[in-house]
Order: sequence, then structure tokens, then C-alpha cells
Amino acid sequence: MSEEKAATSRRDFLKLASAAAPAIAVAAVGTTGTAEAATAESGSGYRRTEHVEKYLASARF
Amino acid sequence: MTPAKLANDAAVPEEDVLRAGVYDLLAALLARPPARALIDRVAGLEGDETDLGRGIRALSRVARATSETAAEREFSRLFIGMARGELLPYASYYMTGFLHEKPLALLRNDMARRGIERAPNVFEPEDNIASLCEMMAGLILGRFGEPEPLSGQKDFYASHISPWAGHFFADLEGAKGSVFYAPVGAIGRVFMEIEREAFRMGG
Repeated sequence: MSEEKAATSRRDFLKLASAAAPAIAVAAVGTTGTAEAATAESGSGYRRTEHVEKYLASARF
Repeated sequence: MTPAKLANDAAVPEEDVLRAGVYDLLAALLARPPARALIDRVAGLEGDETDLGRGIRALSRVARATSETAAEREFSRLFIGMARGELLPYASYYMTGFLHEKPLALLRNDMARRGIERAPNVFEPEDNIASLCEMMAGLILGRFGEPEPLSGQKDFYASHISPWAGHFFADLEGAKGSVFYAPVGAIGRVFMEIEREAFRMGG
């Protein structure tokens, strides 16, 4: 019960405090690709990271 | 894999997507000198009257007056330098005064436990601020598997970020070589305060 209340106030706090953030989310160019999933299970993430890394390298970022 | 990925995203509450967005932005700006495309996107940002919003407005203003070359020179002066940059953005350095110390070892253990590894063409130690921000965003959104529950995010933040990132962002804000990066420092400093407060509230 009190845990639920805490979670709600955390949500409210974050929404208020980071009201400026939706604009940021649009601006972020996605991940920077310095870290990635190590497990084969999340294979699509791994491949995507590798692909993005190659693209970034070729685009000389 | 794709449907699972969508399900992960859908399961992440709105305010956590916002948090991940801020971490991603900080990671993108701190991982390498910002390319023109990123500077342009940042220049288009708008902020409200919150502390975070003011930092974003300042960043947008500076970005509109910044060339790619100037930003690259500034990045290099701050983080690379002739012998070393003005700042050393590593957890190990801030927490112990030395690079490659115990905080890096603890982070590597934690990453291994969570199934995260350094991308093959990255040679920097993992405890740099950009990678840590990227890992937080990834944990929140589930880029390394399932989205990390709040308690796990809190553990990661408390172990690897909270002890030093606020100091680093304050240093970045006040660094001699900071123009474009001064508001980045301000945004990071304010956001670290928001994160600390929110984790305190949310158990």
C-alpha cells in the first residue's frame, strides 16, 4: 500500500521535474554504441549495435 | 525478437522513457565530439522554466552559435588534451584519484552479471561517463534484455554513478574550456539531483 503510494509520487515527481525531457528524447540520436548486450539471446540488439557501430565508423563519427 | 523488443518498450512507463532520453542525450554528447547533425538537433530543443528546462534552453542557445570544428576543439581540450584533457570523466578517477582502480573492476563484474559488454571497437575503460549514461538508458529501456526493475536501476546508479557523476557534471559546467559543454554539465548536474531524489522516493 505505502509502496504503491511511493511509486505514484515518484512518477509525479519525475513527470514534473523532467517536463522538459520529451523534447530531448527526440533529439537523442539513439544509443552511442559503446556498450551492448553480451548474450546471444538478445541477438537483434547485438546485431543492430554492430551495424550502427560500422555505420558510425564509416561515417567517421 | 522484434515483437519482444516492442513489448519491452511498451512496458516502460512514460517517465522512465523520459529519463532514458536524458541519459541518451548525455551519452551522445559525451561519447565523442558532436557531429553537425547532433548539434543541429540540440539547437532545436526547447526548455520550460524548470531547472532542467533552463539547462536545455542554454544548450540550445550555445548550439546555435557553435560550429562542428569549435565543438570538436572544445571536446578535445576538455577530454583529450595534449597530455590529458582538463577533465577525466571516469568513475575510478573521481572515486579513488586513479584510473583503472577498483570502481572499474566492480563495474566490469556488474556488467558481466547483467550481460552487458563493451562494443568491440571501443577501447576506453567502461567507467567513463558516456558509457555509464548509455548503460543506464539501456537498462531502463531493456536494450540488454528485459527492462531492469527500478530496484536494479537503483543499485546500478548507487554503485557506479551516484558517488561521482554530480561532481563531474559540476566540474564540466565550471571548466575553463567549457562553452558548448557548460550547459551539458548543468543539465547533467540537475538531472543527477532529480535521479537521486526520485530513487529516494521510489524505494
